[in-house]
Amino acid sequence: MPAKRIAINFGGEFVPGLNSIITGACLAASKLGWEVVGIRDGYDGLLFPERYPDKVLVKLTPEIMQGLSGTTGCVLGGSAATDPFHVRSTNSGNEVVEVDRSDELVAGIQQEGIETVISVVGPRALSILWKLSRKGLKTVCVPKSVENDMAVTMLSFGFNTALSFTADMLERARQAAQSSHRIFVVEVLGEHAGWLALQSGMAVCADAVLLPEIPYDIKTVAARLREELRAGRNFGLVVVAQGAKPAASAPLPALAQDPKMKSALSPGATEEASRFVIERSGRVADRVALELQRLTDHPTYPMVLGALARGGTPTVVDRQLGLGYGAAAVSAVAKGQSGVMVVYQPPDLKLVALQEVLNKVRVIPAESEFVRIAQAMDISLGVAP
Amino acid sequence: MSAKPLTGTVLNIQHFCTHDGPGIRTNVFLKGCTLRCKWCSNPESISPKPELAYNPAKCLGEEQCGYCLRDVCPELAIYVAGAGDRPDDKVLINWDLCTNCGKCVPVCPSNALYLFGQEMTVEEVLAEVEQDSSFYRESGGGMTLSGGECQLQADFAAALLEEAHQRGINTAIETASNVPWEFMAKVLPHVDVVLHDIKLTDPERHRKWTGVDNARIRANLKKAYETFPDKEFVVRTPLIPGVNDDEEHVRATLEFIKPYKNVVEYELLPYHRFGEGKYAFLGKIYGMMDFDSPTPETVQRLRALIDEAFGRTAQSQMNQNK
Repeated sequence: MPAKRIAINFGGEFVPGLNSIITGACLAASKLGWEVVGIRDGYDGLLFPERYPDKVLVKLTPEIMQGLSGTTGCVLGGSAATDPFHVRSTNSGNEVVEVDRSDELVAGIQQEGIETVISVVGPRALSILWKLSRKGLKTVCVPKSVENDMAVTMLSFGFNTALSFTADMLERARQAAQSSHRIFVVEVLGEHAGWLALQSGMAVCADAVLLPEIPYDIKTVAARLREELRAGRNFGLVVVAQGAKPAASAPLPALAQDPKMKSALSPGATEEASRFVIERSGRVADRVALELQRLTDHPTYPMVLGALARGGTPTVVDRQLGLGYGAAAVSAVAKGQSGVMVVYQPPDLKLVALQEVLNKVRVIPAESEFVRIAQAMDISLGVAP
Repeated sequence: MSAKPLTGTVLNIQHFCTHDGPGIRTNVFLKGCTLRCKWCSNPESISPKPELAYNPAKCLGEEQCGYCLRDVCPELAIYVAGAGDRPDDKVLINWDLCTNCGKCVPVCPSNALYLFGQEMTVEEVLAEVEQDSSFYRESGGGMTLSGGECQLQADFAAALLEEAHQRGINTAIETASNVPWEFMAKVLPHVDVVLHDIKLTDPERHRKWTGVDNARIRANLKKAYETFPDKEFVVRTPLIPGVNDDEEHVRATLEFIKPYKNVVEYELLPYHRFGEGKYAFLGKIYGMMDFDSPTPETVQRLRALIDEAFGRTAQSQMNQNK
């Protein structure tokens, strides 16, 4: 009989190489004589056991995980969609409804004899986990994010792999731009935080990098590209984060002058006003490419890397980080901790309360050294340096 | 002491509509739906309860305003990203923590935070609807109840439609018909024109795309056609690329309605992306945003099948479209 039974699961968007976190946790738990089980696809394994007739919980051991820590994918799967507080189901009246099954889930975990759940979460899954922890679920969590936008930790799991991939793709995009004599505008992930765009753009010495944190003036970007074109270089590379916004955005069209009741009941529900707030993949690349073509009189080509950055083999940095995060989470459980997140604050892995991470976004500070270095490298950030 | 008047949860009242029934109409949208169609263009109509929406374009930001950040939200669902490092300091909503309590709505001076849906009485709705009554007379229009699924609030819908009839207003409803038959039996007697969807004919595919199979819908429709021979029924299909924009669906639908003379029209509504922005307001993700509308050629080809079934020539249909 093992001394303790703990579980591990993954919530939110996929990031590459999650097996290394499982391996780290298994190695550390095995040394303590604990049993580790995995919950399939977020919480789906427990919420929908009928979908997993073979195994609701997966037994995980160092032997099973041997050789898997550097592999792509995740043996447990993940779940970007399931929220135990709003589980979509069909009721007896043939209506589709969203049901709160959180109590049932917490009770189910306890019934399985699971003492603590190690949850690997992104920003959204963190909120759900926090709510579950307030309901009595004992949990230690590990941050993952390809955008590195989780607060308090310097490095979220998955970012380094996404960064390497993105830089590699940008290098290829530059070669394509060079051979086709065009300006490539490549959109990368990053809705609120532009780390991926900035660091990958710096790695390949892009001409310009546009970030959510720094509203851009497209004329400044065009001026930078025109310099290159005048000097005889007939191509360019611009990196744009998904959430980048122009400094002086186009004024919003006025809402239709409907009788008062409409605006009272459903203001802004018309398509004219709403289309300006959609964070839609590909939109920024298209917009920037079009404007640059107009301002430089040079052909441009928009490209979106998007979700491709969520796949692939983890880098050595992520493998180490994953093993460390997994082992540190187990050691937190051993110390009786709950409601905490393991964070990387070089040179240490530390524990912080979930509330300290909740509702915070790790953005690039205006006075960041990264910003200064980029400007020193003559990379345009869409503003006068 | 008088009894509490009957109220319904109303999402919106839209004036001067021309696509949902005869003439110029006033559309009353009721909240709550029993389906979850992946292409839904009115996501704010799905939940039966009032729901918070947030339009960041209208937010004045933490420095200029910031009222909603001062201990207003009991769930800590309103926050700002970073500290003074952002291009703007507009607030963000943690939709996973928000419970739609609406406490933040009255403190927002710019109406960036608002609630979709409010309780209204029959009298209040009709007072708004009757502002357009002169247009109904001129155009042969009236009031159309839409949603969501307007028949879900069966008692309120029936009372509203009955009172509209009393006042001489032509009535129509737009429905998916996935409700208990008793609801339809209450509502339909007060309706002149029934606009109802047939989204997919295959039960399994219907379940995949809308959340439930179509057995009850088909049974309800047959019963409605037979129980109310004097009412006009108009079938509609929202044409969704890769889902039902094919001849197979149109032919199967025509086959279904063939025996019923009171089904007077079959309309195709090409999918559009008007709903996209509203998903963002509600913190939801639109799963179908990467598709374009069906091409005019596809729509024309499918409409030709319908014209043939209804015994119309292509020319007469073109004139109708004009």
